[in-house]
Amino acid sequence: MSPGAPIILVIDDEPQIHRFLGPALEAAGYAPLRADNAREGLRLAASRGPDCILLDLGLPDMDGKEMLERLRAFSRVPVIVVSARDREAEKVAALDAGADDYVEKPFGLAELLARLRAATRRALQAETPSPTVTTGALEVDLEHRMVRVAGARVAVTPREWDLLAALARDLGKVVTQRHLLTAVWGPAHAEDAQYLRVYVGQLRQKLGEAARLLRTEPGVGYRLVEED
Amino acid sequence: MAETEPVRPDPDALAELAAREGRGRLKVFLGAAPGVGKTVEMLAEARRVHEAGRDVLVGLVETHGRAETEAAVGTLPRLPLRSMAYRGQALQEFDLDAALARHPAILLLDELAHTNAPGSRHPKRWQDVEELRDAGIEVWTTMNVQHLESSAEAVARVTGVRVAETVPDSVLAGADAVELVDLPPTELLERMRAGKIYRPEQAERALRGFFKEGALTALRELALRRTADRVDADVTDWMRRNAVAGPWPVGDRVLALVPGNAPADAVLQQARRIAVALRAPLLALHVELPGQSGDPGPGLALAQQLGAETEVTTATDLPGAILAHARLRNATHIIVGRGDPPLWRRLFGRTLIAALARRATEFTLHIVADAAARPAPPPRPAPAWTSWLVVPLLVGAATLVCGALDGIVPDAGLGMVYLAAIVAIAAATGPLQASLGAVLSFLAWNYLFLPPRYTLTIASAQDVLGAVMFGVVAALLTGTTGRLGRNVRMAATRLVALRRLAALSRRLNAQATLPELQMAVVEEASRIAGGPACLLLPLDEALATTLPGQFAREVAATDEPVLRAITPAHAVLDEGAMASARWAMANRREAGRGTATLPASVWRFVPLTAHRDGEASMLGLLGIRPEQDRPDPEAGRALEALVDQAVVALERARLVEAAARDRARGEAEALRTALLTSLGHDLRTPLTVIRGAAETLRVSNLPEATRADLLLSIEEEATRLARWMSAILDIVRLETGQLTPRREPLALREALENAAARAEKIHPGRPVVLEVADGLPRPRLDPSLLDRVLENLVDNALKYAEGRVRLGARREGAQVALTVEDDGPGIPPADLPRVFDAFFRVHRPDSVAAGSGLGLSICKGLVGAMGGRIAAESPIAEGRGTRITLRFPA
Repeated sequence: MSPGAPIILVIDDEPQIHRFLGPALEAAGYAPLRADNAREGLRLAASRGPDCILLDLGLPDMDGKEMLERLRAFSRVPVIVVSARDREAEKVAALDAGADDYVEKPFGLAELLARLRAATRRALQAETPSPTVTTGALEVDLEHRMVRVAGARVAVTPREWDLLAALARDLGKVVTQRHLLTAVWGPAHAEDAQYLRVYVGQLRQKLGEAARLLRTEPGVGYRLVEED
Repeated sequence: MAETEPVRPDPDALAELAAREGRGRLKVFLGAAPGVGKTVEMLAEARRVHEAGRDVLVGLVETHGRAETEAAVGTLPRLPLRSMAYRGQALQEFDLDAALARHPAILLLDELAHTNAPGSRHPKRWQDVEELRDAGIEVWTTMNVQHLESSAEAVARVTGVRVAETVPDSVLAGADAVELVDLPPTELLERMRAGKIYRPEQAERALRGFFKEGALTALRELALRRTADRVDADVTDWMRRNAVAGPWPVGDRVLALVPGNAPADAVLQQARRIAVALRAPLLALHVELPGQSGDPGPGLALAQQLGAETEVTTATDLPGAILAHARLRNATHIIVGRGDPPLWRRLFGRTLIAALARRATEFTLHIVADAAARPAPPPRPAPAWTSWLVVPLLVGAATLVCGALDGIVPDAGLGMVYLAAIVAIAAATGPLQASLGAVLSFLAWNYLFLPPRYTLTIASAQDVLGAVMFGVVAALLTGTTGRLGRNVRMAATRLVALRRLAALSRRLNAQATLPELQMAVVEEASRIAGGPACLLLPLDEALATTLPGQFAREVAATDEPVLRAITPAHAVLDEGAMASARWAMANRREAGRGTATLPASVWRFVPLTAHRDGEASMLGLLGIRPEQDRPDPEAGRALEALVDQAVVALERARLVEAAARDRARGEAEALRTALLTSLGHDLRTPLTVIRGAAETLRVSNLPEATRADLLLSIEEEATRLARWMSAILDIVRLETGQLTPRREPLALREALENAAARAEKIHPGRPVVLEVADGLPRPRLDPSLLDRVLENLVDNALKYAEGRVRLGARREGAQVALTVEDDGPGIPPADLPRVFDAFFRVHRPDSVAAGSGLGLSICKGLVGAMGGRIAAESPIAEGRGTRITLRFPA
């Protein structure tokens, strides 16, 4: 492991998970750091300044939401939540509380590593925000409020723009319905998920070949997929 | 009704309207005499609505062989008649069940006053109509005015013909529409002579009797007036409902008093006549007086038939209660029977009539002669002659005592002895016997002891005074003591009734199971009715109490009665009885012997209805086979009390069983939820590890040691999955009762040694200490199941122990106890009772390897299957440690 390797803090109460994640992360060029419960995780997050945190939601000493709130009090580090599919509500709550992404158990290693890469890169970008977000054929110019697909300009309504911009700002990240609704329509419409379905549908039509980049995460929210 | 009140719809009127909704409408085509064309008119109107597309069905039309009527039926669909065999004759009757099953929107049923063939469900056709309306079917029917109960008398006077078939006024009053079919008498007679009404030979007879012009005119007037009354009532109804504040005349109201101890017929008939004449509503009131016997039931029933609104109140002051009620209901006329008050009351002006005349200043008071003979007073409990026998016995005894005291006590003082005898007679028997006793005593005292002796003369003035005092005191004693004795006896009767009620209540509440309770109810009913008794439940109810919860609810709800309990055991319910039971259950009303429905049945069925969440629910039917049509009042009351008590007890038992079923369902539900959660966690983690480790192994530059460790972790997780699966299978087997342990004598030391050895192998370096007592019995257990239990417990203990784990075995009386102890942090007291629950895990911040939460629960199940018990204690020493103890019969 090289001294400059990004530090990944894994918080999980299952020793078996650490047992394979440790070697797997090392082999991928990261420096893994192990915590068996939330308290220890918070301590390590504060003292070692990890580049990313993998957080299991089923911790015995603290629920994921509380853990994230405490973490966010002192750190903007990217957090990827590890959770079971049947705990949708917990997942959404974690994302709303400040998590950046999630993977579902049982997860594939390749998928996890891809998410890790995206999260760490985003963290770097966030420090020097680029006015134009580019993914695949889609180009979103946040400064000039312009959308281009394969170089051709696409006209969108102000609401569609707000929606697309909110997703582009969090490129590669899942954005919860609540977050999108609040950002675009205001807090009074935080529960009106049907608005989203309508506007996302319209956006997909207008984006043409780039429509597949705007992905639905069922029950959670939407994601603008990152592509080279 | 107070004129100053703000105008608001009358709640009573609205409630009545609401009650009518849902019920089928009733339309009556009313005529003055046969042949005015009621049936033809009804059919014509039916054809009109039928052509307009409504579902009209002809239930029965009497054509009397008239072609005109036959033609009027036209294309209307007809319900086939039911053939009934009666005394070798085939009678064609209306088929009520077929009509109910066919359920048309409008049913035509001719001749409302018709009496059904014996063996029909209801004796009268108007009762069929009521049932049809209850089922929501609109009924159109015809009727002649002479068949109306309250008109019958007047018609008999006018025509000289007394009709046997009558319809209660309340039926007509409850009709939604009454249409008068009118024909001037001359035209009617014309039709009659033309043979359009009866066939010639009948017509001849009718013309001589009924069809005289004068009679017809009178009948026509009667019919017109009845219809006019209806129109009036309809207008009033409408105004009340719609809160039209008049002007309508403040009407008269007639209040009839129904006596409890005399026939009410005369009073009620007179009251009805007055009410009709005044076009006033009729109210009937019965006042229950404490200590008064008698049954107002028949009187109140008659009042209802006459269309009166009936009410019963309880009071001590009879005239006061009557007047209070009259004022409350705005009555203007009070009708009372003359009655037969005792002489002294008449002398002192203490009669009801006198009191009413004095106090009822704002009412018109009518006093009606009771024409009918009084019924015989209810028999006294003891035969009369025994009470008379007491008199000479006691007087004789007093005389013997006086003889003994003669010379010791002054002659006058001996009178006291006789007074004592009189008091005894009065208290034990009645005033008449006491009076006889007084006379005999006086004669004996005077003849035997008062000087001059052996004569009935009295010598001294002092003795005369004494004799007079004796007479006065004896008379007073006779009265007061007699009354006292009567009161005591009445109180005693009431006390017996109360005691019986309390005993019944206790008996019903003491029954542990529903079948026992049902049997207790039936036995009590049999005792009261003095004959066989039974209990029937609706089919779904009967199934619900025998089948496990879920299945029962899936059986379609049905009202088919099912016999649940009967006494004596050889009593049977024949098909006729079942027919009445079915009807009673479907209609939630009494049926069978002594009721208005299927009275030919020998059984009588009383519905047990409970009111739950504001709606009535059918618990079952109580059936009795009484000796007489009407039970005596005492038995009637006892039966009513039994029905009330039975409803409460059955409902309670039902709720208890339902709660138990719900609890069982809840437990199964909780287990399912826990199983799902466990599936989520315990299946997913090993799978994640296996998949992740396998993928990591693909990376080529891993150190050899890491590679080996990853492979090992795959193996371990696969084992963990397998263990978890077998645990789940164990749980399922235990839950479904599919586990049958072998029983064979087992050497405990060997079993414990095996468990310790296995632990050493899996957790090397973690010592397990054995403490096994000598001379242990060999309990009959399943060795492989016990191994599984011990393995689980030792694993668990090793997970938490910091030092050693101790395994022990010793004898405890008739049991053997096996213990597994660790010195870990122990179990929090709050969690101790739940550690054996499936999927329960003690939460601990420094959680070591988390298990599935199934281990202890499986242990409990396995131990239970082998006839043992399992218990947990914590802490066991210095605030730490856990001890699990297994106890088996030695």
